[in-house]
Amino acid sequence: MALGGTRILDFTRLGFGAQATLICGCLGADVIRVESTKRPDPVRVMPPYVPEPGSHGEGFGAATLANATAAPSPNRGGIFYKYNTGGKRSITVDARHPEGLALLKRLVAEVDVVTESFAAGTLERWGLGYDVMAAIKADLVYVSMCGFGHEGPDTRHVTMGPTAQALTGLTFLTGLPDRAPAGWSFSYLDHVGGYLGAVAIMAGLAHRRRTGAGQHIDVSQLEPATALSGAILLDALCNGRPARRPGFPTGNRRSHPPAAPGGAYRALGPDRWVVISCRTEDQWAALVQALGRPAWADDPRFGTLAGRAEHADDLDRHLEAWTATRDRYEVMELLQGAGVPAGAVQDAADRLERDPQLAARGHFTLLGNDEVAPLPLEGLPVRMSATPPRTGGLLDRGPPCLGQDNEQVLGELLGLSADEVATLAADGVLS
Amino acid sequence: MTDGPARPGPGPLAGVRVIECGDPSGEYGGRLLAGLGADVVKIEPAGGCESRHIGPFLDDQPGVDRSLAFWADNVGKRSVVPADDAELGELCTRADVVLHTLGPAEAARRRLGFEALHRVNPGLIVCALTPFGQTGPWADYLADDLVLMALGGSMAACGYGPGPDGADDTPPLACLGDQAWRTASTYAAIAVLAALAWRDEGGTGQLIDVSAHECSASMTEWHLMTYLCSGAVHRRGPHPTLTAADGRLVAALNPDFLGPHVFAGMLAMLETEGVAGPLSDPRFADPVYRSANYREVWRALKRLAARHDGEALYQLGQEAGLPWGVIRSPEEVADDRHLAARGHFVALEHPELDRPVTYPGAPFIAHASPWVMTRRPPLLGEHTAEVRAEWSATPGGR
Repeated sequence: MALGGTRILDFTRLGFGAQATLICGCLGADVIRVESTKRPDPVRVMPPYVPEPGSHGEGFGAATLANATAAPSPNRGGIFYKYNTGGKRSITVDARHPEGLALLKRLVAEVDVVTESFAAGTLERWGLGYDVMAAIKADLVYVSMCGFGHEGPDTRHVTMGPTAQALTGLTFLTGLPDRAPAGWSFSYLDHVGGYLGAVAIMAGLAHRRRTGAGQHIDVSQLEPATALSGAILLDALCNGRPARRPGFPTGNRRSHPPAAPGGAYRALGPDRWVVISCRTEDQWAALVQALGRPAWADDPRFGTLAGRAEHADDLDRHLEAWTATRDRYEVMELLQGAGVPAGAVQDAADRLERDPQLAARGHFTLLGNDEVAPLPLEGLPVRMSATPPRTGGLLDRGPPCLGQDNEQVLGELLGLSADEVATLAADGVLS
Repeated sequence: MTDGPARPGPGPLAGVRVIECGDPSGEYGGRLLAGLGADVVKIEPAGGCESRHIGPFLDDQPGVDRSLAFWADNVGKRSVVPADDAELGELCTRADVVLHTLGPAEAARRRLGFEALHRVNPGLIVCALTPFGQTGPWADYLADDLVLMALGGSMAACGYGPGPDGADDTPPLACLGDQAWRTASTYAAIAVLAALAWRDEGGTGQLIDVSAHECSASMTEWHLMTYLCSGAVHRRGPHPTLTAADGRLVAALNPDFLGPHVFAGMLAMLETEGVAGPLSDPRFADPVYRSANYREVWRALKRLAARHDGEALYQLGQEAGLPWGVIRSPEEVADDRHLAARGHFVALEHPELDRPVTYPGAPFIAHASPWVMTRRPPLLGEHTAEVRAEWSATPGGR
């Protein structure tokens, strides 16, 4: 695998940091999560919980809501499973115990990369700041990932995905004209921050290959997002056309380049929608043909892309009258067959159970662990011919149970015997 | 990295030659590689690539060298207009990476099929970024960013949700800015970095097959797990916001699940501000009681919001340890003091203009291998002769 031989000591938690090391694990890095039994990763112990084996009904999504109300174990937190595939291993070490800290220092000497997503200054307070780690291992690549990063006046500020989305313009850019933003109902920037965290890790490794030098790379949750507004930001800065203006943002309508028709159209069924987006005259002609050449399509106002964009409300009304009586996938298949970009608005259940493309691509991998029966999990959604990424990582297994790999990791990396590990556990060091 | 004399330059990918061609969906990926120091050469037709024809344009005057859509994602690249596909093929023999957006048939027609390129340049990493990937029943389907946002699941989870009557009278929404394309582009850059690492350790080149649909489907946080765990499908609806005295909105997250310190910090701030009201009752320290009486918490926060402007309310929340954020438009982000102190936004000279242009810069701070942000987006064909001469002088590839 591409990152085979790379070892990461991973102190990340929640989504943002864990997304970065998930990517590295799927690429073959040995990712060793350092965790605490006293302060477990919050996503280990929050709902929704993965059901007990055998408690599934028909289909994966049929587990009962009752299952989602109990927390039988830190190994069932559902969101943990989203971010901790990649064959990550888990050890539990109490950094506040002197012997625990000593153990962590010995581990630092054995790895290529240290990652963490605590508030700035946390590792320093433990006595494990970058200076300490660099003295142990000069060429260490240390990647910190936290809301506002480790430099600058507001490093004490904290973020979750929606915070960063608000502050960087992404919440603003999701909404209908002249209404309050709808924003994202989930933490898109936990993903994006994690992607750039993975870029930072691999950039640090590339720099080390060239120069032999390690470094501290400081990833925040804000900077990975500023380029995501693309030309909208430049339009404001260069042309003096602020995004905060009447009629903007434009919902699903796109003007650069324009698509008309372009948007989500109501389909048959409760809250079912299908997206259709025509950017060219060819696509429009194909759409009209596929619709059976309805009379309204001959309206001269719809004769050009500019005309269709100008009269989009009327155009959309006609088109939606057609889509509203049809199944969203039926519309998609009919239009795609005719050469018109179209796609069903899919939710999580659709992706898992109705999307033939994801299934054919092997998007989901069935993985479990000692406590959880195999369930379809996502990893790195990219295919590589010579070094295929694996959702189960090097070990080909699901997300780790808390502290599952104490004996293995401490034996393999530090040469500790099973008895020595047992003694450390009894002394509360491995907690 | 490339054998022979490397192009001098900073960045962890200095000396890595990247050829980028195709539609706008992969341009952000090329921009990321350029920021890491790679020599990214954009291959364009004589009339200019697609994004050069997309607005908005500088001063609203169209022109291939005035497109802000092009500028946004092509900072740091060079532009080459090859005489024909044969010359493009010749450049590919001297490159480390080809990043394109072509399906298998079109790639073969342009002589960019992986097998053919691999035969002449075994170290070449070819990354094909397409809407649905090279295989599967939808491989030939068409999609722009909006279609990908629909199929991937983001749209189903974004929007206003049901109105007061329970009817879904507004559609699912996709964020502007081509987010599915950007996610796919970012994954392309990640895979290229991994493939380069493997090649440095003695591996060969390879084909990277990026399906923007798969990438888009991977970015909806806990929605898949919620369904797997509970059978419930996440519905769209905005996060809670407070309206400040100046009308600005503040995303006001109160993550009780992180521990009792979250409410304690909030309460102390509300008491200092004199708006805590019933929340000072010790019963509110119990998360179960608090949850059952959450409207009192929200009422107190509204009293607070009415006293402050948005930016100040955001700072107050943060000082109390709460992950609050004022909702800013993109241009308002450029005024952020923290990003300014981190040197994030970079003004690049455009010698043909009377003013520099400000761009978002490094996505992270790496002092030992700084983000490379020195070259403005290229004029059409600006580097055709230069690249031809440089690349033919060194063998390149492996």
